[in-house]
Amino acid sequence: MTQPQQATTGPDATSGPVAAASAVVELALTACQAYGRPDLGSRLSVARRRLAEPGIHLVVAGEFKKGKSSLVNALVGAPACPVDDDIATAVPTYVRYGTQAGANLVLDGEPPRREPISVSEARKHVVEQRAADRSPSGGAAVAGVEILLPRTMLAGGLVVVDTPGLGGLASAHAAATLAAISMADAVLFVTDASQELTRSELDFLTRARELCPIVTCALTKTDFYPSWRTIRDLDTDHLRRLGVEISVLPVSSTLRSRAVQHNDKDLNAESGFKDLVRFVTDTVAGRGRTQVAVEAANEVRAVCQQLTDQFAAERSALVDPARAQQVVDDLTATKRRTDELKSAAARWNQTLADGIGDLSADIEHDLRARIRQVITEADELIEAADPADTWSEIEPWLESRVSHDLIANYTVLRDRSADLSHLVAEHFRAASGEVLGTFAVYNPVSLLARSRVETTISLEKMTARKQTMVALKGSYSGILMFTMLPSLLGVTGLAPIAIPVGLLMGRNSLREEKRRQLTARQAQAKNAVRRYCDEIQFVMGKDSRDTLRRIQRQLRDHYAARAEELGASLGQAMQSASEAVKRTNAERDKRLRDVDAELARLRRLAQAAAEVGG
Amino acid sequence: MTSLLDRTRATFVRAAAVYRGTPYARMLDETAARLDEPLRVAIAGRVKSGKSTLLNALVGERLAPTDAGECTRIVTWYLDGHTYQVMLHPRQGPPMPARFSREADALEVDLGGLSPQDVSELMITWPSRALRTATLIDTPGIGSLSERVSQRAWDLLASDDEETPADAVLYLMRHLHVGDVEFLRAFHDTEVSRPNPINAIGVLSRADEIGVGRADTMRSAHTIAERLAGDEVVRRVVQTVVPVAGLLAETAMTLTEDEVGQLRRIAGRSAAEVEGLLLSVDRFVNSMPELGLTSLERERLLARFGVFGIRQCSMLLRRTVAGTASELARELAAISGLDDLRSVLRSLFYERRDVLKSRSALLALDSILRSQPRQGSQAVAAEVEEIISSAHPFNELRVLSAIRSGGIQGKSEVIAELEHLIGGAGTSAALRLRLAPDAAAAEITEAAAAALLRWQRRAENPLTRHELSTAARVAIRSCEGILAAGHARR
Repeated sequence: MTQPQQATTGPDATSGPVAAASAVVELALTACQAYGRPDLGSRLSVARRRLAEPGIHLVVAGEFKKGKSSLVNALVGAPACPVDDDIATAVPTYVRYGTQAGANLVLDGEPPRREPISVSEARKHVVEQRAADRSPSGGAAVAGVEILLPRTMLAGGLVVVDTPGLGGLASAHAAATLAAISMADAVLFVTDASQELTRSELDFLTRARELCPIVTCALTKTDFYPSWRTIRDLDTDHLRRLGVEISVLPVSSTLRSRAVQHNDKDLNAESGFKDLVRFVTDTVAGRGRTQVAVEAANEVRAVCQQLTDQFAAERSALVDPARAQQVVDDLTATKRRTDELKSAAARWNQTLADGIGDLSADIEHDLRARIRQVITEADELIEAADPADTWSEIEPWLESRVSHDLIANYTVLRDRSADLSHLVAEHFRAASGEVLGTFAVYNPVSLLARSRVETTISLEKMTARKQTMVALKGSYSGILMFTMLPSLLGVTGLAPIAIPVGLLMGRNSLREEKRRQLTARQAQAKNAVRRYCDEIQFVMGKDSRDTLRRIQRQLRDHYAARAEELGASLGQAMQSASEAVKRTNAERDKRLRDVDAELARLRRLAQAAAEVGG
Repeated sequence: MTSLLDRTRATFVRAAAVYRGTPYARMLDETAARLDEPLRVAIAGRVKSGKSTLLNALVGERLAPTDAGECTRIVTWYLDGHTYQVMLHPRQGPPMPARFSREADALEVDLGGLSPQDVSELMITWPSRALRTATLIDTPGIGSLSERVSQRAWDLLASDDEETPADAVLYLMRHLHVGDVEFLRAFHDTEVSRPNPINAIGVLSRADEIGVGRADTMRSAHTIAERLAGDEVVRRVVQTVVPVAGLLAETAMTLTEDEVGQLRRIAGRSAAEVEGLLLSVDRFVNSMPELGLTSLERERLLARFGVFGIRQCSMLLRRTVAGTASELARELAAISGLDDLRSVLRSLFYERRDVLKSRSALLALDSILRSQPRQGSQAVAAEVEEIISSAHPFNELRVLSAIRSGGIQGKSEVIAELEHLIGGAGTSAALRLRLAPDAAAAEITEAAAAALLRWQRRAENPLTRHELSTAARVAIRSCEGILAAGHARR
């Protein structure tokens, strides 16, 4: 969600899947250099950077005053997030690793800017401020606060995100939190032992579970509520009845903090934090790191394949010089097909262009239909009661209603563009599969070749989804959803409409005059709603078009680069094959031995990469 | 001059004549009868906001069952009467008496084979001094997991035909949610006065949980309640917000000698030991066997007092602020905020009960007159409008709601004076004039005369805005009322 701040060195630097992945990536990088393939090398460099900074986000969400901040503090063992009886957290706090304690202000912008502040200053930016205390905002809006802590738990790239309270599922905050959750690696939902889960909490959990694969529920304040066991059982039942597999972990932040302070083992056990810490370090951070490692290792495998193909072609020419010319001819034909793959006329490229065009129209239509529905509902509300009384409620209702529709619209965009990138991947694979298939003919180890094509399929599928997510995460709607909504709503927000309320006395025409004033107010309110929706539609329409264009560019560049790599591999193969023809028998034998050795080395590397992450 | 209640009664007599022999006659009779019954106060709020607990505290007996899970599923009325009786109103069929037993903790009603869904209301008649002042209505919470239970609270509070069975409402909130305000709005009609804080008091309930039981918890709760009461949106829907630790209040009203004896054993320990004991509820139940309390007794203490309550009691007993059970009960009633709530209830609801009762009766009548016009009903409707638009108490309420909704602008000091003068903080002369409760009659007369002059000047000042000068004329009437009452006493 946020940009990596600095390199981290954690326990995984020496062991674990990340270390294993780093090792194979380094080896593959050396190989790329040795074989003169900087194009493949740059692909690996990206994987190396991501390994160094995995950025695994755990979003802590829940209703107001359920003890989210206290829980985060107890978890990291430091007062990272301010806790107060009354005032609640107002902006998200990102608690991440730093070699020494520090704090940054994250300011709204694209990309978000950082401004170092002192740790003591951080508090006043995090908590909600009374209108009177709010400093005149000269600069950009505060999008979040980053707290850096030298904690082992965070060293593996874990980022714990403390969020503002939801205020019911229908609120704009809930919409923003759901958006953040769709980008997060895991969610820790916080509820307390004062009462069983409410309907809106359960609705939120269900939605969160759809958006994020790892969701767990923490039941806080078990030191204070005698019947926390009953509540825990009730909550577990509710979740089971909903059919969502979410475990409930009872914890006490107070006991944990005290246990850490007094180094009291019994108290720590009683706090229930052991399970929570295990969840965070093993399930969230561990699984997250493994996933990053596997992704990096897959890149290595893809690179190994291309290099292997290249050597395999040369080998065929070396083994049977009589057929060498045919090999070269076939390779040339394949190369031509690969070049077509790069061109704009390639099927995948057309699929992409057409798909984005359709998608753009659909998304816009979807948004328009939604906004129209909102206006109808708003009109009904305004008709139903006097806006002078209800306006203060219609305003937040409208904002949250619109933000939920924006999220829904954005979810459509996300899912549809993921589908599209699958299709593009499919078409690309079909075309490049033929290219790879050509290699297989000449490959002495045909079994290996077949399995290779299969891995390519799954690899491409995996990267397709990742590509879309990367494009979305980089886009305005994705990364800044947390701040985008409020600021978007704030900028174009409803102009305060002056609703005159006359104090009427006396019996004459009391009822008629009231009715006349009411009609005037209702017309005014309806107009305001329309202006607001117009503005939203305009801004969001532009934003989603931009996002789609960005996705198109990103996918096009991605597959063009893959085609480029394939072309380079083929070029190299052709060159080595034609050289093979010119060699003497002795040279050929020597080269054959070298090539076999290289192939064996690449096989070992691919094997090592395949073993990363079990 | 006839009183508002008398005028309302007279109008009902005429209405009864118009509707004689129609199905509405009975409805009118029942509505008219409400004028002579105690004020009906509904206790509403979200699920688990402590409604039943607070009801028990107000009655001073443990009647409504309370539990950690969701508990109240049926709208339950608690009325004063000569005998102990429970009437069950099924959704279909006539009301019938139900069998009930009283366990140590609460009243248990046998629904006679009916499921809670099939029962629309329970009427519990219970001889009690507290219920003589006001009939209390316990409602299922909103935000309840079962849609149907929530719907019932809506049925009671926001019935479609504008007339609500309750005259006033205590709205319990734990932390203000968007949903809460929406719910409260449903109470407010659109005719006599705009959605306004005439008949609702907010209660920041379970206040002892705000600071998770720390010693300064109630102070935090007061700060929060004050902030809420000053909030623009909250001001439009409730008159004020009072923090109450419901559990402690209930226990204060039903404290037993046994419990005090058990608490004394805890108070006998050093402060540090008690702190360690109360670190967590599990520790309280399981550690320090030397106290000589069984784990059952300890669990019961927790259920009755909560961590905050035990902490407070052991402190009060150790410092001998309270020695006997009755002294301790008095202290707890003060700490829990129950005393404050009672005095607010007295000044805002009970002292204004005639206005509130007339208001809901006239509303009900108005809706019948409008929906069922008959020969002669127009004349009665005109009469209703006459009362609504001219009766001084209603004018006061109208000004109050205009102030709360920002309809009257002016210097904040002037507006605050106006709000008090028309009875915004309570209808006693001292409250209206912002004097000490025990102010002498002479002092009151002097202050009222001064206020009268001030407001006459404001009303006549050509620079005063139209709304404020209209309101000023209402304030003048209020001052005259105070002076007249003073004369009458002399």
